[in-house]
Amino acid sequence: MLAPNSDLMLVYAAFAVLALFIASGLAAALHRRKNVAFLIGLPLLAIDTALFLSVFTGGSSTTLLGIFEMYPFSALFAALFMASGTLIYLISYRYSNDFTGFSALFGFMLLGVIGVAASTSLVTTVVGIELVALSTVFMIILDGKSRVEPAVKLFILGAIAISVLLFAVAMMFSYDPSLLLSGFTASGPAPGSYILTLAIILFIAGFSFEASLFPFNLWVPDVYQGAPTNITAMLAGMNKKVAFVAIMTTFFVLLSRYSATFSPIFELLAILTMFFGNIMAFVQKDVKRLFAYSSISQAGYILIGIAVADSFGIEASIVQIAAHMFMVIGAFSVVLWLESKGLRSIDDYSGLGYRSKFAGISLSIFMLSMAGVPPLLGFTGKLLLFSSAVDKGMLILAGLGILNSFMSIYYYGKVIGSMYSKKGVSVGSGKLFANGYIIAAVAVCLAVVVLFGLYPGPIIHAASAASLSLFGM
Amino acid sequence: MIPEFSIIFAALTLGIVLAALLEKRFSYYIGVAATAIVLIMVLLIVAYEYILGANVMAQTYAYIPQFGVHVSFIATPISAVLLAMTAIVLFAAALSSGREETSKGAAVLMLLFGLAAIGLFSSSNLILFFIFWDVGVVATFFMISYMGSANRRSAALKFLVYSLGASAALLLGIILIYFGTPVHSFNIAYIISHGSLIPIGIQESIFVLLFVAFMIKMPIFPLHSWMADAYTESSTQGSMLISGVLSKFGAYGMLLLFLMMPIAAKYSTYILALAAISAFYAVLVAINQSDIKRLISYISMLDMSIILVGIASITVIGREGSIYGMLAHGLGIALLFLVAGSIEGMFGSRSIKFIRGVVEGSASTAYSFMLGIFSITGVPLTVGFIADLLIFIGAFSAFGLYGLIPLGAILLAGGLLYLVVSRSIVNGRNGTEAPYLPTAAQKAGYSVLLLFIFAFGMLPFILLKIIGS
Repeated sequence: MLAPNSDLMLVYAAFAVLALFIASGLAAALHRRKNVAFLIGLPLLAIDTALFLSVFTGGSSTTLLGIFEMYPFSALFAALFMASGTLIYLISYRYSNDFTGFSALFGFMLLGVIGVAASTSLVTTVVGIELVALSTVFMIILDGKSRVEPAVKLFILGAIAISVLLFAVAMMFSYDPSLLLSGFTASGPAPGSYILTLAIILFIAGFSFEASLFPFNLWVPDVYQGAPTNITAMLAGMNKKVAFVAIMTTFFVLLSRYSATFSPIFELLAILTMFFGNIMAFVQKDVKRLFAYSSISQAGYILIGIAVADSFGIEASIVQIAAHMFMVIGAFSVVLWLESKGLRSIDDYSGLGYRSKFAGISLSIFMLSMAGVPPLLGFTGKLLLFSSAVDKGMLILAGLGILNSFMSIYYYGKVIGSMYSKKGVSVGSGKLFANGYIIAAVAVCLAVVVLFGLYPGPIIHAASAASLSLFGM
Repeated sequence: MIPEFSIIFAALTLGIVLAALLEKRFSYYIGVAATAIVLIMVLLIVAYEYILGANVMAQTYAYIPQFGVHVSFIATPISAVLLAMTAIVLFAAALSSGREETSKGAAVLMLLFGLAAIGLFSSSNLILFFIFWDVGVVATFFMISYMGSANRRSAALKFLVYSLGASAALLLGIILIYFGTPVHSFNIAYIISHGSLIPIGIQESIFVLLFVAFMIKMPIFPLHSWMADAYTESSTQGSMLISGVLSKFGAYGMLLLFLMMPIAAKYSTYILALAAISAFYAVLVAINQSDIKRLISYISMLDMSIILVGIASITVIGREGSIYGMLAHGLGIALLFLVAGSIEGMFGSRSIKFIRGVVEGSASTAYSFMLGIFSITGVPLTVGFIADLLIFIGAFSAFGLYGLIPLGAILLAGGLLYLVVSRSIVNGRNGTEAPYLPTAAQKAGYSVLLLFIFAFGMLPFILLKIIGS
């Protein structure tokens, strides 16, 4: 057991390492040293993951500079985001057209992510979200001229989202000028006030852009398909999850008194999002688009736990967020590599299982996990989500969720079936071999998905600690 | 004390890993060795339960401690019989697959399927039950789509769609059971003893959900249309495992459902009617089939309907009969599909029109087919006789003469099958030589299955003592 003092030191160390990463990224960008940036940056990110993880296991609560609060919830998400950041960084090195620029922006993006997770006031949350969105836009543009269209799409939608959010923040200002997350519960109006209901709706709309919830998610497939695939992995694995963290801190700390108002809205959104994602995924021919729609449906599942609006529901959402993070980053890593070999559509994937065992097996496992097939981590998350809904008496939500979850196996099954069909083998140009970066990233994701799927105890325990600390704020 | 379950799971896991890593020429031997170890261990479990009359249990490990879910395996009297059936069919399938024909993928999938089946029949809580259920579905999906015949893709997809429906209903039902029990629990033994404490309204929803899920898997009319394609388009070994073992996932679940939910008694008459309709439907469709594997598929569906009659009777003897029926069906139908595979090899076609005079080409195949039919239709001395006898005694004591109506379907099926035997198996060879004869491996497969069909048919007291305890 660590003394409180050493916990504080750990938090400082974690932020210092992040600052070091940002500095090294900037320096590398100025000097155009790609290899140096990677060799320094990757260990820094890995170390920071470990530091935030030990902050989490320390279990204490520390305030930093008055704007960050490290408590188990934020520390767990900081560690998760650092881990997924490490993986993104790893796969981007080989495939990013301007890796040094990417490194510099990635540091700011991580700062924004940690800012949202550890936010104590609405201002920090909004600034964090904006930091993440803007860095992402520039990362996409940096890849080349052909990327302007998705970047502009993302930029405009991000701008709309942020203005909607700011409007909501302005409404909150009239009740509590400090804008602190934890101070509002006492000073706010009684549930049912019109201004507050409007603010809740605006918050939901603003966050829905980022979290890709129906009907604010029409941009998702275009941007996911248009962006470089390593950025797509980041969009699905990190940016979207950041919005969920912001939803959790905003609604369960700031607005926790009004759960009767927002819970039905989230329930409806969850149902619509799941159906939208799954139904659209049925007809996709392009693998990146298929995963884009599948990740929309996953956002719907995550929302089930938020609609349930108690600590069990949030615990389930956290497990599902962690699960989807690793599944989708792993899947997009394989897609990224295959794309560089010219394989894009489901038809191109025909016979892939015979050309590369690595791609066949790892993609199959990721897709089965996304579909919620036991004993993989995706199943654990869904089991918890549906259980939490049944526990709260939301039987329709649970039933539709389960229906969707099994509908999704159909289109994943189609891809898997195509990978193992013998039709394309003779046409295909022979064996494919992955490089070390992709193999390393995929191996980590596979290990998380399979090992925690077989033994989910620790991850559920961690999620439950984080969720309880969120409600204790 | 030998840790039987640990050895079984270690053998299967090791087999999967080795078959995946080593070259193709070892696959057959790995499959046979792993399944042989499983068979020996399962027979040990059966022997232990026969002598001591106590359940064999495995060590418990925490899985999701927050929900009280543990990885623990138990061989209850019901599961001991099903484990025996699974191990025998698995061993026969591995043995009969042949050294040249067994690919790496086939060996891996067969062992994975075996792992799922053994795990499902011995799991002590519903979460493990669901996990192994889905692993079984995934293994079967790959087994059909990877190893099957011409229309395997569409058959696999059809199977998947039906299975997904079943899995969805099953998962929702399990979650409802968990929150319905007064002390939230997934433990099967606890739910069986405390099932009556679940509120009636929730019991009804659970019953409907799980009944549909298990009905799809058994399969029972009208949710059976995946069955004929899946059984027909699979490879021989795939058909043996799917028809012999996978259908028991549903039947075993159905049995548990009737034990867990006391409300089932309210519906038993309707379920008898459904089972009778399903039985007659299966026979009438079977009469119309020209493909020998499709014919056997519908005979299999008939037998599953008869098993449902035994379960629905809610009498001790009917239940014992249905357990015995699962054993009989598993062994008998696996034998028939194995023989059908050999016959297909001999004639290059599955069409009954082209199959003539099997007995002249390969006497062992012809007689195995006949003995398999004896077992399926319940001729004395075979395991099927004991099953039908107990089931219909149970049905008669529960429903009176109405309970005997499904017997008519068995009689019809008997007539149909003897017609097939006389036309295609013993008569009508018009001089053409069969290009291919069954291999020694296939004959070894016949003999393993026949040995147990007659052993359990002549010595029924062994398993009945276990079931009765």
